[in-house]
Amino acid sequence: MKGLRFNRKHLCIPYAVFLVLFVIAPLFVIVYYAFTNGQGHFTFDNFVNFFTSTKTLGTLLYSFAVAIVTTAVCLVIAYPTAYILARSKMKKKYVLLLLFILPMWINFTLRITALKEVLSVIEGNISVYPFLNSVIGMTYDFLPFMILPLYTSLQKLDNSLLEAASDLGASKATVFLRVTLPLSVPGIISGITMVLLPSMTNYVVLDMLYNNTYIMGSLIGSYFSAYDWNNGSLISLVLLIIIFIVTLVTNRFSDKDANNKGAIL
Amino acid sequence: MGKFKKILSVAAACGLIGASALTMAGCSEQDGVITLRVCNWEEYIDLGGWKDDERITLDNGEEIFGVNAIYDDFTEWFNETHDYKVKVEYSTFGTNEDLYNRLSLGDVYDLVCPSDYMIMKLLAEDKIQEYSTDFESGEYATNVSPYINGIFTQYHWDKYAACYMWGTTGIVYNPEKIEDVADVSTWNILLNEDYKRQVTIKDNVRDAYFAALGIINSEKLTTQLLDSEELTNLMNATDSETITKAEDVLKRIKNNVYSFETDSGKADMVTGKVIANYQWSGDAITILDGADADGTELWYSVPDECANLWFDGWVMLKSGIDGNEKRQAAAEAFVNFLSRPKNAIRNMYYIGYTSAIAGDTVFEYLDWNYGAEDDVDTIDYDVNYFFKKDDNDGKYIIYADADNFKIDENTGEINRGRQLFAQYPPENVKSRSVVMRDFEDKLTDINQMWINVRCLDVTDISPVTIGIICGAVGLITIASLLYAFRYKLFIKYKPKNGYSKVEE
Repeated sequence: MKGLRFNRKHLCIPYAVFLVLFVIAPLFVIVYYAFTNGQGHFTFDNFVNFFTSTKTLGTLLYSFAVAIVTTAVCLVIAYPTAYILARSKMKKKYVLLLLFILPMWINFTLRITALKEVLSVIEGNISVYPFLNSVIGMTYDFLPFMILPLYTSLQKLDNSLLEAASDLGASKATVFLRVTLPLSVPGIISGITMVLLPSMTNYVVLDMLYNNTYIMGSLIGSYFSAYDWNNGSLISLVLLIIIFIVTLVTNRFSDKDANNKGAIL
Repeated sequence: MGKFKKILSVAAACGLIGASALTMAGCSEQDGVITLRVCNWEEYIDLGGWKDDERITLDNGEEIFGVNAIYDDFTEWFNETHDYKVKVEYSTFGTNEDLYNRLSLGDVYDLVCPSDYMIMKLLAEDKIQEYSTDFESGEYATNVSPYINGIFTQYHWDKYAACYMWGTTGIVYNPEKIEDVADVSTWNILLNEDYKRQVTIKDNVRDAYFAALGIINSEKLTTQLLDSEELTNLMNATDSETITKAEDVLKRIKNNVYSFETDSGKADMVTGKVIANYQWSGDAITILDGADADGTELWYSVPDECANLWFDGWVMLKSGIDGNEKRQAAAEAFVNFLSRPKNAIRNMYYIGYTSAIAGDTVFEYLDWNYGAEDDVDTIDYDVNYFFKKDDNDGKYIIYADADNFKIDENTGEINRGRQLFAQYPPENVKSRSVVMRDFEDKLTDINQMWINVRCLDVTDISPVTIGIICGAVGLITIASLLYAFRYKLFIKYKPKNGYSKVEE
């Protein structure tokens, strides 16, 4: 009787079905293609090809370079912004926060097209600075994802801790370095994960801003358009593993803060 | 293990049921209604909704006006005149490769419109359903241009494909910003330092490779007289030496052009960001029209070396038709419906490309569109090759505004022009155009070449850059580690003896 009764666990069935059909099954397909050749025979060739080709390694480096610089720029811009927003006693600070999130409500291609025109006015010929433009485009696109987790972690910082530090004789700089910054590390980490990972593969921004150099996403696309599913899948798999490692490392830092787990996943 | 197997079989069963449900839905012939699955290029058919002032009235009294999408008009006509009903499921694709990948993933279509080389590939793989004998007396067969028909017969496509649109590749340019127009009459414009970062090239390997071949063989192509077979072989060379040369040329092109573009070329020409733009003739017409409306006069040039003559054709797929005669008849009726002169004109007007359909009505439309007013200098623009049915028939000449063409002083040939020139290339352009074949087994090599061009090579990065990157990364890591250890971020403090941590 118990077995037939509706159980709270049954509520997760729709998600489980979704998970199997659209997450786990495709994953198996990717692994299958990554380790077979065009004839369907098992092979490590794609794997060897990836790690011996100077082009794929170069592309991997280039993707990392774009992603890391983007993340750094986002962090540098977002931290002070989030700090000021979270610590200020302004009445209208929600309006300000909204201003940073507002661009997310506008379609992304539209935003980048507008950005292209703005950059053309500033730079003259935008094709001269492809790397710079890519970083600007990515930063423009991903900044809200950095501001929001930082804002959340800074906002719930307990004021009494800061007061206690000051009472015990810490200067403002020491309070920031020893109390505020360590307590906001989970926010920083989840911000970094949310910016670093998508910016490694978001080739649409590069395409739209006329960067002629491929990053990982466009490389996968070029293999697929030559009907080469195998090499394309292997690159996806490598990316997946890299993302997995980054997530593992970053999770280690944010374990203390259960609230941020959701943000990372 | 047993449990795992069970899960697997359940999953497989679910997949099977899902898949069969999908195919059933696609093939369903409920109440005798056939669903015709058509897949065409994006923005490649008249979708109707014309404004009142767009109504075309030809001299012979024919009136052309698009209210509904053509495939809706087809459904209406078909259902009124046939004893069974049809429903058109119209979808679009972005590139030939996209279409092919969809087919290999199991998408089913009855009628698709790939380009020449993809037709070759599908033919080689035996995926195309032959047209029936009825089709040979249908509207397509009667109206198609003898020129197009000749080429399709020459390549043995005629039984399998019905040409929809065709054209050339060339360069759209802004004459005001080009100092010497001879510069745009060659593929070398892509390497011309005078126009550094002001010219765009197509972002696909085939078009880029063709331009590279044009540059490599430039001297041979412009100084020697090659017959059509030599020309075709030269521009379809895929030996490893040529591929290496092309890689080198394309790398130089990459450093010289404004961008590799897929769609942005039109907008960038009109806003003046670029002054020349590698284009397909049909898009060139749209760009020229758009620029005219904005008050900028752009021109189209076909490089002196060689142009790529391309065709998009309707083919029926065996996987979709599946031996169903009614379905095949409906697909053929669809092609024939599009081949009616008035519908061909509607499509041409709407998308800018050149229809394969000839005939007097289409010629009337050309005359209506391009025939000059009485008080201007005209030239006799000969389109007989496209329209002429037999030798006695030499009347297909358009008296067009001479200002829209540039005639070469030495040869007397037209090698640059505006819309009419782009839409119906003159004899001299046609004679130095070639069809680009499928790369077949060389595709992997050529794609690798393309990746080599587009990707950063590790060994190309200068030691200085590597030094800077390593330095920056190292500094940041050391700084954050120092910070972490200084403030003991890694250490979890345990409460002293006798104390316990209070959970919040």
